[in-house]
Formats: sequence, structure tokens, C-alpha cells
Amino acid sequence: MKRNRRKIHDSILKGLIYASTTVTIGILVVIMGFVLYKGLPGININFLTRMWDNETTIVDINRNPVTGENSEENYVESLGITIALEDENIIIKDIEKDSPVEDGLNIKEVPYELKEKDIIAKADKVTFRDITVEEAVAALNEGTGTIRLKVTRPGGGIVPMVISTLYIILLTLLIAAPVGICAAIYLNEYAKPGKVLNIIRFAIQNLAGIPSIIYGLFGMLVFVQNLKMQYSILAGGLTLSIMLLPTIISTTEETLKEVPNVYRQGSMGLGATKLQTISKIILPSALPGILVAIILSIGRIVGESAALIWTAGTVAQIPSSLVGSEAGAATLTTKMYWLIKESADLEAATSIAVVLLALVILLNMVSKLITRRFLRSRTGK
Amino acid sequence: MKDITKFSVKDLNLFYGNFQALKNINMDIYKGQITAFIGPSGCGKSTFLKTINRMNDLIEGVTVNGTVTLDGVDIYKEMDAISLRTRVGMVFQQPNPFPMSIYDNVAYGPRIQGIRKKNTLDEIVEKSLRQAAIWDEVKDKLKKSAQAVSGGQQQRVCIARTLAIEPEVILMDEPTSALDPISTLKIEDLASELKKDYTIIIVTHNMQQAGRISDKTAFFLTGEVIEYGDTEQIFNKPSNKKTEDYITGRFG
Ligand SMILES: Nc1ncnc2c1ncn2[C@@H]1O[C@H](COP(=O)(O)OP(=O)(O)OP(=O)(O)O)[C@@H](O)[C@H]1O
Ligand SMILES: [Mg+2]
Repeated sequence: MKRNRRKIHDSILKGLIYASTTVTIGILVVIMGFVLYKGLPGININFLTRMWDNETTIVDINRNPVTGENSEENYVESLGITIALEDENIIIKDIEKDSPVEDGLNIKEVPYELKEKDIIAKADKVTFRDITVEEAVAALNEGTGTIRLKVTRPGGGIVPMVISTLYIILLTLLIAAPVGICAAIYLNEYAKPGKVLNIIRFAIQNLAGIPSIIYGLFGMLVFVQNLKMQYSILAGGLTLSIMLLPTIISTTEETLKEVPNVYRQGSMGLGATKLQTISKIILPSALPGILVAIILSIGRIVGESAALIWTAGTVAQIPSSLVGSEAGAATLTTKMYWLIKESADLEAATSIAVVLLALVILLNMVSKLITRRFLRSRTGK
Repeated sequence: MKDITKFSVKDLNLFYGNFQALKNINMDIYKGQITAFIGPSGCGKSTFLKTINRMNDLIEGVTVNGTVTLDGVDIYKEMDAISLRTRVGMVFQQPNPFPMSIYDNVAYGPRIQGIRKKNTLDEIVEKSLRQAAIWDEVKDKLKKSAQAVSGGQQQRVCIARTLAIEPEVILMDEPTSALDPISTLKIEDLASELKKDYTIIIVTHNMQQAGRISDKTAFFLTGEVIEYGDTEQIFNKPSNKKTEDYITGRFG
């Protein structure tokens, strides 16, 4: 009787566990499948290698007769390029080696190299609208010496967001990792146990639980407005640093706690100072845990939107300074948010989602690898 | 042979907060001998050992009064803890090799003291491992993790690590309590061998061990030294009833 009941009990429990597992994995598969199904078609070389916005530039090119023969159709002899008509635009289809378009200068006299797929919109006085390829070739071959081209480089790619994401990761970690690790070392190795320490720990735990939009608001008020950084990667990086500090501190402290006390005693007993003990024994032992904390932080930076939208902005550009209008930068995630909200361009958003998923999976694999590698070297096998 | 005083302890009291763990200890410890501390659990043996190389400094809320001198120099007033610990090395109850190679473990102390030359380090490592009677067992795996050898070998690596800083005194806190009988015997032989060059103080719960290897024995009880003298005398003709009870196993 009793045994039978226990058996039934067991099988019900087992059933529940299986069911929950199936549901979890099912949801995961559906989400991944959906994102991949919607987003993969939008991913191609252009998406991965181009800027986001179209970029129009005036370029001066010093024509010199190109030596060598090219019998291709629509070959522009004086520039060493082949052009073609695509979507009613004249585009550069092919560029010869040593072509002068590689040494173009924009109006600020900064080198600007033309690339394949660039659209030529104007050559000297001739606007390339409703024009045949033959007419365009003639216009480009017209005259000698310098020719002024108006060139549009098509966008639609995620390069600026990828680079901005990397910049913000780097900046945030550069600020948060040293500060967080030092704070954890202080709390665990130096601070005297007692009320003050408990209050600090309590504060850190609570800070870790604050919704990121509040950090975003704080960052906007303090860094963007009061400190006049404008929407910039520095404002974003500082905001994220503050947001991540509690996690980095407590994760690192956890790892430091796991370093056996006998190592500390052993080291001090051999005449090492406290600082030597920390740098030579404690930190190396805690390194894998610290690295994992950092990788988890990277994951959170990559996935963060609320704390960044109002601090780093949503401009798709490669930031060229730390603060100011040139420093605004949309990360992949903030751009995705913006696309859904502002332009309802769900296709592009899901394609970014695919890239994000790939990135997160990569990060997880790296953190696994690190943990495993370190565990192996520590046990000496 | 005349006894030369290495450590001299006068009127030593130690408190953990309000709790008095050591009471009015007076004791001379002699050079080139093995001194054994025996006594029931919690009587203050480890505490006393740690006052001798100031490892107690690392614990919050410890107050020490009285004097401890090493070669006539007060270790609390006239010496800094770091240089004291390079003269008075310590081997712990649990083997505690660092998570690094055997070589790096033994070279740790010398490196801390600024020795960088590979040749010098090689020599120190080999000499220390030989002295600790473990060279032959590990000479082919110096680059292997020190935690990947047996417990007895780990403890001898730890002894080698202590020897590498060339201390004058070696403190051993129950160095064999975590080891099997064969490893224990090896460490005991090693201790007897080492006393030619070093002064050794060993805490042990093992009466036979104290009897086998030590020259002097101190019997501790609730923070006091009840009796201190030649091991032979303590074990054969203890002058205190409590000592006799403890040694004959009628106690604790
Ligand atoms: N860090 C500490 N804080 C407070 N009390 C302590 C501390 N360390 C030891 N004590 C107390 O001091 C007394 C002596 O401890 P000690 O470790 O020196 O004993 P012991 O003789 O080495 O014992 P055992 O044989 O078990 O190792 C004990 O009552 C112990 O509870
Ligand atoms: Mg003890």
C-alpha cells in the first residue's frame, strides 16, 4: 500500500520535472527559431560591413591616364573604374589596381578612398540623374586633371553599432573593473568586520537590484546634463560602470571569500606582506571568478538599453571622441530598441537580434572555456 | 652540551577580546633542540605558537602583554612582524601548498625577498627539497601542481617551502595530524634531522611522537604551562599530578 503510493508520488514528480524541462527548452527553441527565421534573411555582407546611414561626400580625384588595357564595357579610362546602372543609380562596379579613385580627397583634403558599390551622384557639373551609363562614362572622361565627384556610400549596415558597443564595453570595464576589484579586495581583506561593513554590504546588495532605467535617469541628469557631456560614450560608460559596480564587487568578493584562509596564513607565515599575499596568491586564485564576473558584465552591457538610451544616445555613428556631439553612440541593443519604437523597422531589428544572440552565446562559451581551463590548471591535470 | 636560549618568554598573557587564552607564561626555548607542546584541545598550544611568530597580529581583537625575545631582542617591540617571520618559519596542521607548481611553492619565500636569479632559485629549491627529504620523489615533477601529490608529500613540500626562507626556528602545529603513519614517521625523522641546523617547536596530540622526537616538553592546560622540562623527566617522573594524569591517558 504505502510503497504503491510512494511509487505514484514519484512518477507524478518525475512527470512534472519532465514537463517543466520540455516547456523550458521548447520556449527557448521557439524564441531562437523565430528570431533566426525572421532575422537571418536580412543578414548579409552589406549588413555586417556597412555603415548605418548613407554617407554623401564630395571627392576630388586627380585623374592621370591609367596605363594598361581594359576592354570591359562601361570602363572609365581616365579613372580606372567600371561603372554600372543599378536601381537608377550609377555605381562603381569595379576598381582597377592603381586607380586614382583610391587617392581621392574630400573637401577637407582628407584622403577618401572610393570603394566598389559607391554611388556616383554628380561629376563636376553633370548630375547623374536619368542618365544612361554611356553618358556617365562620357561625363567622367570629360576634360583632364582634377574632377569633383559627389559620391554616396550606401548604408544599412551595423558597423557603427558594433564599434560603439565595443567602445562602451571597453570604457565601462576600464572604469568599473579596477574600481570594483579594488573595492572587493578592501572589503574582504582589509575592512574590519562590524556594523559599517555590514551596512556597506547591504547597500551594495540593494544597489545591484535597482532597475537599470533609474541608473539611466541618474546618468542623464548627472553626466549628460550637469557635467555637460551630452549624449556620449563617456556618459554611457560611466552610467554603466556605476550600474555594474555592485555586481562586480559582490561577485569578486564571493570569489575572494572562496580563497582558503590557509593560503593567506601560509604566505604571511613565509614573511610576505599583505600586499604581496594579495597580488601573488589571492588574486591569482580568484582570477577565474573575477574573469567570469567581467564576462557576465560584458553580457549585461551588450544587453543593456534603458541605461544607455538617455546617456549614450541613439545616433548610429562611430564615436570619435569621449564627450560631445561626436561622441554619441547607439549600441546594437539601443539601436534595436529605437528601430522598433521609432521606425517600426522590425526586419532590421530582428537581424540585429540575431547578431546579439550570436554575441551572447559566444560570451557564454568563452566564460565556460575560461572556467574549465583554470580549473584544470589549478588541479594540475 | 650547554643549553643556549633562543626564545625567552616572560609573563606572557594573551586575550582574544575578553577571553584570556594564555596565562602568565614563562619559558625559555633552547637552540638546536626540539621542544614539544602537549595538552588537551583548546588549552592554548596553537595560540602560544602563533605569538612566537606574531601570526596573531592577523587576528582582530588580540591583545598580548609580557615579553618574548628572540636572541635577546623583543619581537613585539624591537622587530617588525615581516622580518620576524622570515626568521621563524611555520608549518601548519593541514598541508597548505599554494595552487602553483612545486617549484613555485618552494621558490615563493625567496622570491618575496627579491631573489630573481634563476640559478640561485634552482639551487635553493633543490637544497630545500633535499633537506625536506622529498627531492627524489618530486624532482621529475617540479613543474607539476603541488596540490597533485599525496598529503604526506604536500606537507614535506610545505616544510621545504619554509626551509627555503632559511629560518632559524621552525614552528610546527600538529604537522602530522592529517597524515598516515608512514608519512608521519618520515616527518618525525625529518624533524630529528633538521634540529642539527634549526630550532624546532612542535605542537602535537601524539604522546609517543613527543616522547620520540623532542628534547624538552611543555604541558599546557587551560592557557597555563603546568610543567616544562626535559622530555625524559616529563614522561617518566612528572612532578605535577595533572601532567602525570594527562600523559598516562587518565585525562582529557
Ligand atoms: N581567533 C580566536 N578568537 C577567539 N578565541 C580563540 C581564537 N582562537 C582560539 N581561541 C580560543 O583560545 C583557546 C585556545 O585555542 P588554541 O587554538 O590555542 O588551542 P589548542 O591548544 O591549539 O587546541 P587544539 O589542540 O584543538 O588545536 C580556545 O579556547 C579557543 O577557543
Ligand atoms: Mg591547535
